Amino acid sequence: MDFNPCMKHKVVRQAVRDFAETEIAPVVYDLDREARFPWDIIEKMRPLNFFGLQVPKAYGGAEVDGISYAITIEELSRVSAAIGLCISVHNSVGAYPISAFGTAAQREKFLPALGRGERIGAFCLTEANAGSDAGGVETQAVREEDGFIINGTKIFVTNGGVCGLSLVFAVTPQEQGARGGSVFMVEKETPGFSVGEIEDLCGMRANPVSSLFFENCRVPLENLLGRVGDGMKIGLAALDTGRIGIAAQALGIAQGAFDASVKYAKERHQFKKPIAAFQTIQNYLADMATEIDAGRLLLYRACAFKDEGRPFGTEAAKAKLFCSRLASRVTNLAVQIHGGYGYSKEYDVERYFRDAKVTEIYEGTSEVQRVVIARGVLSQPR
Amino acid sequence: MRYHFVVCMKQVPMVSELPWDSRSGRLRRDLADGMMNPACKHALEAAIQLKDRHGARITVLTMGPVMAEEILREALAMGADSGILLTDPKMAGADTMVTSFTLARAITRECPDFDLVLCGCHTSDSETAQVGPQLAEELNVAGVAYVEKLDLQHHTVRLEREADDFLETIEMDLPGVVTIATQRYTPRYASLGGLQEAFDRDSITVIDAQGLGLTPEQIGRNASPTRILDVYSPAAQKENIVMRGSAKKVVEDLLDQFGDQIAAAIGKDLKPNG
Repeated sequence: MDFNPCMKHKVVRQAVRDFAETEIAPVVYDLDREARFPWDIIEKMRPLNFFGLQVPKAYGGAEVDGISYAITIEELSRVSAAIGLCISVHNSVGAYPISAFGTAAQREKFLPALGRGERIGAFCLTEANAGSDAGGVETQAVREEDGFIINGTKIFVTNGGVCGLSLVFAVTPQEQGARGGSVFMVEKETPGFSVGEIEDLCGMRANPVSSLFFENCRVPLENLLGRVGDGMKIGLAALDTGRIGIAAQALGIAQGAFDASVKYAKERHQFKKPIAAFQTIQNYLADMATEIDAGRLLLYRACAFKDEGRPFGTEAAKAKLFCSRLASRVTNLAVQIHGGYGYSKEYDVERYFRDAKVTEIYEGTSEVQRVVIARGVLSQPR
Repeated sequence: MRYHFVVCMKQVPMVSELPWDSRSGRLRRDLADGMMNPACKHALEAAIQLKDRHGARITVLTMGPVMAEEILREALAMGADSGILLTDPKMAGADTMVTSFTLARAITRECPDFDLVLCGCHTSDSETAQVGPQLAEELNVAGVAYVEKLDLQHHTVRLEREADDFLETIEMDLPGVVTIATQRYTPRYASLGGLQEAFDRDSITVIDAQGLGLTPEQIGRNASPTRILDVYSPAAQKENIVMRGSAKKVVEDLLDQFGDQIAAAIGKDLKPNG
């Protein structure tokens, strides 16, 4: 067992950190305040393969290993969680399902543009009456002779406002054996597809999370991913990968808040000494460092399982549960260490604090992660 | 013709201030992660731009500990074709003269057909700016330091550099050595796909002292005449300077006057217009 990062992972971390600190950090405050999606930064990210992390090389992607993927999302999120989110969702639940479940023709048609970032991907599951309970999905795809007609409304779609391709989870009522729902690839030019208002959210404000409307959206047969009824299987597989991304994102937020706290604790003087000299602050920092380390080990283990081709769903759920909760705790302490300044938008920790919370909610709530983990634990032979 | 460029580079500590070992007078480089020296990155960028325009093969060369392979891999991801790592515990502690001697030996043996050697104009950890010019001496070819712009015409290279407020244009016959200033060749980012490939490729040659045909007496600390008598932190001198004018003007003035110092302090070059 080797706990040292290999040379490649060190260099990947350094490269992404350099990009994030140089290109994103100077504007991250404005992006959050203005709830603005940074197309200019996206333009710079395209040739660097951020959009092709999980796209096979054969389709022009970078096809990076699982740990490099986690490090990339972590380092982006350490500076901007909203951009880390865009890349994570695009890769894990936008592009990955097509790589894993698409036919050769579907991969050929969709993956190159996704890999180049010309189309940003989104995955649409959540509805007004369906979230953790995917069985409550009401969006319908009705079979016609040469395709399907989709009707329904999806809400809280990450990347919704900018997506060029959405993977839509829908039920197909008249089909045999369709209990699991089905996934359809809908291009933004499809008549009947439209984007709702951008949500006014607590955090992740630079990501245009929105509703998506499908009104008599006609898609050809070849836009069905997998077979009719494969929806749940595809969704669960995508979410396993997605959870690695969100765990990495939560970890990056925590790391950013931690780094800011260490810096501040050394600079800020009270009672004629830096507050880092006080044991209370030291205790906070020690707890934060320990939790971040523990989360990172859980996360990289899940990635290593994935790279080895082993089942990693339970490991990903543990990493996602632990990292998202530690992100909330660490960012909370970061605000505490910063005192009144930490509650001001002038300091980054205020944004980290707001960004962290949703990692406990999306890509499966903490409660759902426990269901997944318990299922894994209870199914083990004893 | 297809040129052969050799870019010499150094791995430097990522932080600007490192503690040193008071007995040996050497920086404790082991305490920080390493990165490609910023000026070396500019030299590589210049080489890649020339390669894009004229066609060339780029070999990157470094001397350092085993971990220095990191910067060679990064260079491959940016656009270099192959790398040479000179590593041997006996090479440690070399001063600039012995470093130039060792690099020259590697270039002569491994890249005898080189057309142009490009170095960064200085390193962020020791700032001597000596290795490039010394390398030209060791290789017995022409050398120009602090080059801001260069272009090739057959067997000559046309160079521009600023010296004492003059802009010089120089023509130099190949082969030669240049050191690249950090103004114009803003380095590209390595792509993530490029990095993955750089680590999958078998393009790095590792050579020790014996492989260069050098004896322990010719290299490293043993051969270095430079003696460091004392290392100390310059006493900080604080001064209040008030800059007046519009925000835009104040920032421009600040960067004009202190840009180099800020860049040195943060260990990162400030981009023009950045």
